[in-house]
Amino acid sequence: MNLGLTGKVAIVTGGSRGIGASVALELARNGCDVALTYRGRADAAAEVAGKIEKMGRRALPLQADVTSCEETDNAVEKVVAELGGLDILVCNAGITWDGVIWKMSEEQWDAVIATNLKGYFTYNRAAARIFKDQRSGKIVNISSINGLRGKFGQVNYSASKGGNNALSKALAKELGKFNVNVNVVAPGMVATEMAAEIPPEFLNAAVQDTVLGRIATCEDVAHVVAFLCSDFSRHITGEIIKVDGGQYI
Amino acid sequence: MFEWFGKVSYCPHTKVAEFARHLKNGRLMGSRCTDCGQISFPPRADCPTCRHGEFEYTEMSGKGIVMTHTTIDAAPAGFEDDVPFHLGVVDLEETGRLLASFGETIDPAEIAIDMPIQVVPRMFEESETIKVHYTLEKPGTTWVKVDPD
Amino acid sequence: MTRVGIIGIGHTVFGRRSDATVQELAFEAYRDALTDAKMDPELIDATIIGSVPEYHKQRSLPGVIQEYLGLNPRPTWLTEVACASGSAALRTAWMSINSGMHEVVAVIGCQKMTELTTPEILALMGRVGDVQWESVFGTTFPGYYAMFAQRHRHEYGTSADQLTAVAVKNHFYGASNPKALFQKEITVQKAQESDPVASPLNVYDCCANADGAAVTILASEGKAREIGGDRTVWLDGLGCATASMSVLRRPELTSLPSAREAADQAYKMAGVSATDIKVAEVHDCFTIAEIMAYEDLGFCPKGQGGAFIAERQSYIGGSTPVNVDGGLKAKGHPIGATGVSMTYEIVSQLRGECGPRQVPGADIGLTHNVGGIGQYCFVHVLRRD
Repeated sequence: MNLGLTGKVAIVTGGSRGIGASVALELARNGCDVALTYRGRADAAAEVAGKIEKMGRRALPLQADVTSCEETDNAVEKVVAELGGLDILVCNAGITWDGVIWKMSEEQWDAVIATNLKGYFTYNRAAARIFKDQRSGKIVNISSINGLRGKFGQVNYSASKGGNNALSKALAKELGKFNVNVNVVAPGMVATEMAAEIPPEFLNAAVQDTVLGRIATCEDVAHVVAFLCSDFSRHITGEIIKVDGGQYI
Repeated sequence: MFEWFGKVSYCPHTKVAEFARHLKNGRLMGSRCTDCGQISFPPRADCPTCRHGEFEYTEMSGKGIVMTHTTIDAAPAGFEDDVPFHLGVVDLEETGRLLASFGETIDPAEIAIDMPIQVVPRMFEESETIKVHYTLEKPGTTWVKVDPD
Repeated sequence: MTRVGIIGIGHTVFGRRSDATVQELAFEAYRDALTDAKMDPELIDATIIGSVPEYHKQRSLPGVIQEYLGLNPRPTWLTEVACASGSAALRTAWMSINSGMHEVVAVIGCQKMTELTTPEILALMGRVGDVQWESVFGTTFPGYYAMFAQRHRHEYGTSADQLTAVAVKNHFYGASNPKALFQKEITVQKAQESDPVASPLNVYDCCANADGAAVTILASEGKAREIGGDRTVWLDGLGCATASMSVLRRPELTSLPSAREAADQAYKMAGVSATDIKVAEVHDCFTIAEIMAYEDLGFCPKGQGGAFIAERQSYIGGSTPVNVDGGLKAKGHPIGATGVSMTYEIVSQLRGECGPRQVPGADIGLTHNVGGIGQYCFVHVLRRD
């Protein structure tokens, strides 16, 4: 379907690789100009930007610390100035730092909560300010099925993803009357760089967990995100869509 | 739906309830009789000229002139936190009259009979439920109009 | 058409009557009216109650009053047009006598304003205008009259001093009226320093809520002469008109079109003009309302109401004494009772029974009773032969 996104401006956090990169490319493929944030991988970000530009769309790679309100606000201001506005926000930047709780350090907790949860607050707030005044906008916060269920060894990650879910629901209530949709995509296991570091027996267990007998590709997630950024999903808000092949039913 | 209109609402049911939806989308609507063409503001289902019972909505420019005003210091129920607030009655450019509060672009000290204003559709942003109204602002004030649902 | 006369009058003290129910207040005024008329209640054929139900906890007031006054099984019903309910009851009584249906009718204006809590009163007060298009913005009763005052100042230069002069006059006379809520004079300074309510009106520009009742007994010409003799005061002119509830549809805001129309009707019916009126009671819910009334009733030219009070023309000795019982401002305003209270005063004046507040030679008087912000107005001309 023609998603009708031509000329829209999107921000994708953590857009230099994995799900984020896939989302950025899918949005560009559908006509968006895309700003993508990264923390350290400037080369990866540039590569994604290059692919976007080859599609005939504008790209703006931005190094920015998602955990800082000030850096976030500056980055968003830059996007608006250089790309002419903002219509779509996809929050995706996230890390894991696993361990059972009795061995988990304060730093492990703080880092995951800061990047995964505060890092969504900063961008959601900045976008909300713009979307509210212009009476339009789409926000998709990438979460995880591990925010819907508890995951062994991930009290920090599960907490942050559960937090993304609740943040998104509350935000959907605040922004609804301004014609802004806020939704969550909750993937199960996805074949990304991050996942490539997982031992094969765990990956295999994940495949067995799904009813479809496979784990998601990044594009599987990106397609759903793109749908949620379009007018076809205009009556969906405050929703969590799992993209997990039936891993958690 | 008409209970969306106003900080407090005493009128949940009316034949012109769609007025509130149009206001939410940024449009100030009057009514036009489908028989004799008489335009009314505020909108009304029953034509004051020919008594015909069908009408359509017609968008008003919102431009007008202040014909009287007052500052309310003793508030009615629901407005206790707003005092003092400034009300104006405005003769609208096309026809009809409207009563509303002056908004942020107007300095209360400047409020005077015969001053021109622009009626601007507004939303109570921090209300959990949908609540819409309009304010009296400086001529030239702009606002966002949203496509009809 | 038969002439209708007023043969008995009664009036409670107006004030915060936490000592009585509304029917107990009605009884006080009723007892006094019977004593005044020196008549047997057996002669009463019906009662009409003027009251505004929303302020009472008791539903369907007329039934309770009729029972308490011991007037079952005689007919009764309510007339309600906001603050003009009392005059509506008088007009209804006049009509029922003129129709031949009844001969002697007791008109009972009664109201308790203080049964509701302050938040309940505020909520009610906020619904005084058009609730669909105006109350949603926080309009209040004083707010509407304040907007009239702004317009009056804009067109005619009516000043704050002129507004205050009305309050000063009415408190001056209220001080000699034992029925009034406020029996103390006020100074210009005190009035102008009082808290703002809705610009340009402050607390002393506004009448106060009060509880109270007033009763007048009306009779057909034959019965009136028989019972009342030459103390009878005749209700010779009745005018009544409406205007739009909403200020959004008033042609102008410096006058009440309903008052002008009602006055024309009443003068015509009584065969008099404004200059024949020797004493008047007008609806001074706010000081500006009295100024507008002078103009609407023709006591002075349009726009000159401010000068009229500044020159003391509405004091005893002036061209038309107005509200020399203190008006709504000093008496208080039990809304259903006010129209009957005004009638009580004019009847007393025309009988020469007002003592220090007597207007010498008063033989023709007028009441001007407005409902709400002018959507209803009743003007009555009374005469003593």
